[in-house]
Amino acid sequence: MKVLVTGATGFIGRQLTLVLANVGYEVKALCRNTDHPYLIRHPNIEPVLGNILYKQTLARAMEGCEQVYHTAAVAKLWCRNPDDYHETNVIGTRNVLETATKIGVQKLVYTSTCGVWGPTIKHPMTETDPRITGFPIAYERTKYLAELEVQDFVKQGLPAVIVNPSRVYGEGPITDSNTVGKMVSGYLKGSWRFIPGNGEQVANYAFLDDVVAGHIAAMCKGIPGERYILGGHDISFNDFFKTLHDVSGKQLNMIRIPLKLIQFYSQLEWLKTRITGIPPVFLPEFAERLKYDQKYSSNKAVIQLGYNITPFAKGLAKTVNHLRGSKSKENENNESLLNDNLNNHQSAQLCSN
Amino acid sequence: MQQLTAIVTGASEGLGKSFAIELAGRDINLVLVALPGSGLPELASFIRKNFMVTVHHWEIDLTHSESYAEIFTWLKEQRITTHLLINNAGLGNWSWFEDKNIAFYKMQIELNVITPVLLTRLFLAQADASVTSYILNVGSLGGLFLVPKKQVYGATKSFIRYFTKCLQLELYGSNVKLSLLSPGGINTKPELLVMNNTLKGISKATILEPEQVARIAIDGLLKGKKEIIPGVVNRLLVLLNSLLPAYIKDNIIKRRLNTILVS
Repeated sequence: MKVLVTGATGFIGRQLTLVLANVGYEVKALCRNTDHPYLIRHPNIEPVLGNILYKQTLARAMEGCEQVYHTAAVAKLWCRNPDDYHETNVIGTRNVLETATKIGVQKLVYTSTCGVWGPTIKHPMTETDPRITGFPIAYERTKYLAELEVQDFVKQGLPAVIVNPSRVYGEGPITDSNTVGKMVSGYLKGSWRFIPGNGEQVANYAFLDDVVAGHIAAMCKGIPGERYILGGHDISFNDFFKTLHDVSGKQLNMIRIPLKLIQFYSQLEWLKTRITGIPPVFLPEFAERLKYDQKYSSNKAVIQLGYNITPFAKGLAKTVNHLRGSKSKENENNESLLNDNLNNHQSAQLCSN
Repeated sequence: MQQLTAIVTGASEGLGKSFAIELAGRDINLVLVALPGSGLPELASFIRKNFMVTVHHWEIDLTHSESYAEIFTWLKEQRITTHLLINNAGLGNWSWFEDKNIAFYKMQIELNVITPVLLTRLFLAQADASVTSYILNVGSLGGLFLVPKKQVYGATKSFIRYFTKCLQLELYGSNVKLSLLSPGGINTKPELLVMNNTLKGISKATILEPEQVARIAIDGLLKGKKEIIPGVVNRLLVLLNSLLPAYIKDNIIKRRLNTILVS
C-alpha cells in the first residue's frame, strides 16, 4: 500500500517513514529538499520533492496514495517572518486536506500537538477539556486553527483523525523543534546547567517510538473527527534532571534560575530581536508558560488505540545512548531500531486491512 | 467568609470561559450559562475537577427571555443566593450594515441589550442586602469610539455604558457594586486570532489575552471600580479621546476607513 508522509525530514515524520517502510508500506516522503541529511534512505522510501504550500506538488505526491500522514509544520520557537506559522501550519494543512479530498484518500492522520491545550491546573488534561488561556504562542495558535480546518473537512466527509503528541523526545536528530534533545545534549556536553524556577514545574514527555506507533494505530483504529493525546509521563524539571543524571552517570551542579529573572531576560531577548533581527534564545510568551504545568492524559489513546507508554527512564536512557553514539554507532542504532520496530510491525500489519 | 456564587453568561468560550476559570480560582461557586452544544458541560466538569467550587450549568439560548425565570426559580428552590452577576454574553460583528440580515440584528440587540437588563433586574431582586453584591457589565471601547463596521454592536455597547453608569448613580450607597468593563480587542474567537495577529504597532498593543482581561476585570469589580479599562495602551487611547478635538478624531477614523476599504 502506498502512503504519503509530509514533513518526512522532521523529528516525528522521519521516524514514521522508517517504521512504515520497515512494515512494508511503499512510503512517499514529501520533502522540500530530497538531499536533506535527515531523509532516510530505504528501498521502500521514495523521496518526493514538494511543498505543502504548492498544491500542484502535493497532488503529484499524493497520487496513488491510500493513506496520508500530515506531520509537516513550522514548530520552531521563532521565525523571522511571523506569518510563516500561519502559512505553513494553517494554509499548508488546508492544502493537504483539499488535495486528499480531491484524490479520495482512504484516511488521513493529522499531527497536532498537546500545545492546543497548553497550560494545565491540577489534573492532567484530557481530549474534552477546554483550553484555559489565550494563544500567545504562534505555534500553538496555528496548530489549533489547523485542527479547526481538519474538523471542517471531516464534516465534508474526509476520514481524518487528529493525534496530539506532547513534548516528544527520543532517538532522532536535534531538529529546531526537538527541544528535549537540545536540553539533553546540552547537559551531556556540560553546557546546559540550569533549571527554571524551583524546578517543580511539570511537563509531559512522550517517547518518539510510542508517538510513531500511536500515529500508525490512529490510522488503523482512530475514529474520524476524534482527537487522541499521544503523551508519556508527567515529569517535573527536578525529576527530569535527576533521571538524566541517573541514566547518563553524569552529574552537573544545576543552577535554579528564578522565574522573574527568566522573564526579565526574555524581555531583553525580545528587544534584542526587535532591534537587531538576531534570532532570540527565548521569548516572553515561553517565560510566561513556565508558571504553569503541562500535564496530559493519554488514557483515551491507551484504551482505544492500544497506545503504549515507555517508562521515562528507559526512553531517556535510549535517547542518551543515541546522542552519545558516534556516526558509525548511529548505523548500528538504526539496525537495532529496525529490530525494535519488528514488535510494532505485527500490530500495524494486523490492522492494515 | 461566606462562600460566594457567581452567574456567568456566555461562559463556554472566549472571555466568559476565562471569567469562569478566574472566579473558580478565587473559590467562588459558579452558575454558568451558555448556548447548547458550545462545550459548557465539558467546561463545568473541568472546573469541578480542578477547583474546590460548586458548578451548575444551564444550556439555554439567552435570546429566549422566558427562560430566565426558570433559572432564578430554580436557584430559589435550591436556596442559592447569587452574589455576582457577570453579564458577558454578547454577539459581535465586523461587517457593513447592509451585509447582515434583520434576524442577525434582532438577535444581536436582544443578546447585547435586553438580556443584561433583564438579568440585572432579576439578580437584584434576589440579592441579599446584608452582603455586597457585584454586577459586571461587559461593554467595549467600541461603546466609546466610533468604529465603522461595528455600527449596531457599538450602539448596543453604548447602551450598556449608559445603563451601567446610570444604575451606579441609582444604587449609590447601597450594598450593590456595579462595574463597566470596557476592553479593547481580545484574542478569543478563531477569526479574531487570525485577524488580531496581522495587526502591527499600536493596534496590536491594544489586544489582550482573555485571561488577562478576566483577571483585571474581577480585581476591579471586587474593588468597586466604576469603569475598568484593561491595558495601558487602551487607557491612553481613552485619555487621548477626551483630549483630541472631534475633527481630528473624524480624520483618523476616515483614514482607518480607507485602509479598511482598500484591504
